[in-house]
Amino acid sequence: MMKAKSASLTSMDSARDPEGSAVIQIQKLCVEYAGRGFGQGPTLAVKDLDLRIGQGEVFGFLGPNGAGKTSTMQVLLGFREATRGEAFLFGVNVRQPIARQRIGYLPELTYYYKFLTAEELLRFYATIFKIPRSETERRIDALLDLVELGSVRKRRIRDFSKGMQQRIGLAQALINNPDLLILDEPTSGLDPLGRMKVREIIQRLKNEGKTVFFSSHELGEVETVCDRIAIIHQGELRVAGRVGDLVAKYHTDLEKIFLQIVGYRAESSS
Amino acid sequence: MNTISALAGVVIKELYRRKDFYVLFVLTALITVLMGMMRFFNDAKIIGYVKEICLMLVSISALVIAITTAARQIPAERENRTIFPLLAKPVTRGQVLVGKFLGSWLATGIALVVFYLFFGILSGSHENRWPVLILLEAFWLQWMMLSVVIALVVFGSVTFSAPSANITICMIVVLGILTVGEHLNQVAMQQNQPVGSIISMIYFLIPHLEWFDIHKLVLFNQPPVPWVYCLLASLYALGYTAVFLFAAWLAFRHKPLTA
Amino acid sequence: MRTSRAILVLLLLLSATFTLATVLQPQAARSTAHSPSDSPLNLFMGDSRRMFANHFYVKADVYFHSGFYPSIFDQARDSEVKENHIAAAQQGKEDKPEQEEGMNFLGEPKDWIDRMGRHFRITEHTHLGGENAREILPWLKISAVLDPQRIETYTVASYWLRGIGKTDEAEQFLRQGLRANPNSYQILYELGRLLYENRHDPARARNIWMQALRRWRETQQGLKEPDEGSLERITGDLAKLEEREGHYADAIKWFELTRLHSPNPDDVQKRIDSLRLKLAAPEHP
Repeated sequence: MMKAKSASLTSMDSARDPEGSAVIQIQKLCVEYAGRGFGQGPTLAVKDLDLRIGQGEVFGFLGPNGAGKTSTMQVLLGFREATRGEAFLFGVNVRQPIARQRIGYLPELTYYYKFLTAEELLRFYATIFKIPRSETERRIDALLDLVELGSVRKRRIRDFSKGMQQRIGLAQALINNPDLLILDEPTSGLDPLGRMKVREIIQRLKNEGKTVFFSSHELGEVETVCDRIAIIHQGELRVAGRVGDLVAKYHTDLEKIFLQIVGYRAESSS
Repeated sequence: MNTISALAGVVIKELYRRKDFYVLFVLTALITVLMGMMRFFNDAKIIGYVKEICLMLVSISALVIAITTAARQIPAERENRTIFPLLAKPVTRGQVLVGKFLGSWLATGIALVVFYLFFGILSGSHENRWPVLILLEAFWLQWMMLSVVIALVVFGSVTFSAPSANITICMIVVLGILTVGEHLNQVAMQQNQPVGSIISMIYFLIPHLEWFDIHKLVLFNQPPVPWVYCLLASLYALGYTAVFLFAAWLAFRHKPLTA
Repeated sequence: MRTSRAILVLLLLLSATFTLATVLQPQAARSTAHSPSDSPLNLFMGDSRRMFANHFYVKADVYFHSGFYPSIFDQARDSEVKENHIAAAQQGKEDKPEQEEGMNFLGEPKDWIDRMGRHFRITEHTHLGGENAREILPWLKISAVLDPQRIETYTVASYWLRGIGKTDEAEQFLRQGLRANPNSYQILYELGRLLYENRHDPARARNIWMQALRRWRETQQGLKEPDEGSLERITGDLAKLEEREGHYADAIKWFELTRLHSPNPDDVQKRIDSLRLKLAAPEHP
């Protein structure tokens, strides 16, 4: 019944994606926050954002702090409702929980149930995805080996270091073998080895034809792994396109393009 | 259903890996055993006061476990940010609420079984009689009552900003209903209008949790409640549980979760 | 986590020591000179201990009725339910119709909630009888610890202790009450009953009842509303004692005093008349 429902939703919503095969489709998205203080009006965090990410792309979502990246991700993941506009994952409106059946999410700050062991945590998430028991055990073994936590599978999360928590976070994001991976600052707080590991995993997923959507402040990394990027500033999409095309257009590296887009002016030395 | 049972399983694991249950059980057992060692007027056959103290401690412990477990589920998920990887999965907020409720209720039920086993062994060994039916009924009705309490607390956890406020308010409401709930109709009759009408309305609206406390029947060796009234009371409790869970869903479904 | 474990261990130890203290306190009190003002209960609870003492005294009555008892709301509605029945039994008023009327507090169900709730409550009025009466004793003991100046706790407990054959404990408890309340004629009267009915010692019983009478005169005579019920009971039992001992003249003297304060003076007069006949009989000098 769930499959029939998702199929009908897909066919209904495919009309919104005439080109087809869009993994993420954002249309005129607006996210508004109510004013906190007395007499304060609402704040528009995201203004009329249009974005389309296709199958197999590694897409970098960039912007300074407070640009609207997190708000956009919150709408995609169902943590927040859009004030106006729509967003779709695999053609299914993000308001439907089934839209998240084929995605994996790694938050920036990784906190998991401290009283569970590593394998219990993965088993819990696997149950939510309705993965059969035998397949679950096989995937747990493979993922714990991938993130190099096989030796501590029976240790409780509360005893993990920050790096270990980040790695178990990556494992839980991959438990359902997702077609779309959403990563929020995936290398934040990681040492160079950890960052290399994350880059390798992103590259591996790309080779498997998966789609990766991530936000980051590490422009060097973004330039290395991304096919396309978008830069958002003050809630508005300022530029989007292939990294190579943007570099050719602006005749400079990605960092300078970013600074130019956000209007940064260097202090002149007297 | 898999999702809900998985969520419930996590709640149960949490309760038994925290110290709360063990501390309360040990306290209950210790106080009961110490009370039982006291001799009033050199009479070893007096058992009523031990049973009453034990049942009172069981009630308090079960209520504390139920309310504190349920009160921290959603707020702790938000505070610890574990709700984000959870809701990023194909899980509805309704499933999260039901899973948390079910886990809290089952965990409390398991704790209650242990407490009642202890009480049953204590009183049976003293009196050389084993009133299994009335004890089963007392356990069942108390568990049904706790379903209403837990659902109320879950509703409070998505309504109030602080878990401590939720716990305090729910504790006061529950204790208030247990102590004076059945008498509000009498109080209403003695008041002038419109106060009398307001009290009367409250009397008919609140869940009458005092029905589910049959400790006096256990204490004074009374016959069990007829099963049909047990069943009606259970349906009554499940009705109120559904109402509170529905209200919680209405409050939670569109609530923004700040990452 | 370590801090919370330490706190939990501390709480456990506190509860254990407090319980042990309640067990050891009576023994400690016996071995040292104690005035009521030195009591830790006085220190911690102040006058609220009397409120708790009353609560436990009422609890004993609740146990006596096997849980069938009016709530404070029922009592507020109907003042007839206020009479305490374990005391009424001790005073010989049990099973009188006016005593039992107050226990008809339930009435017809007021609504469907009330009707349904009655299936989960005790709705039958019974009294604990025989050996089961022992269950009321712990509450009376606790009440006496909290409020040693509450006289009826000792007299009522003594009555029920005697009923289950614990005469020594009853006497010990009454003497404990006398130490806390040296001027109590009620406790002296109850002690006299114990000596007469259980120890079968009329001489000591007579002495104790004479003491009780003296205490009554010291404390009650001259008051606007003296406790005539107690006077009637003391003099009445003295009269019955003398009658059984064959001292008819003394019996008549006590019955005449009883008649002055009795609610049934005609019945007393009949007994006086029958004693006068016996006294006038040839075999009596």
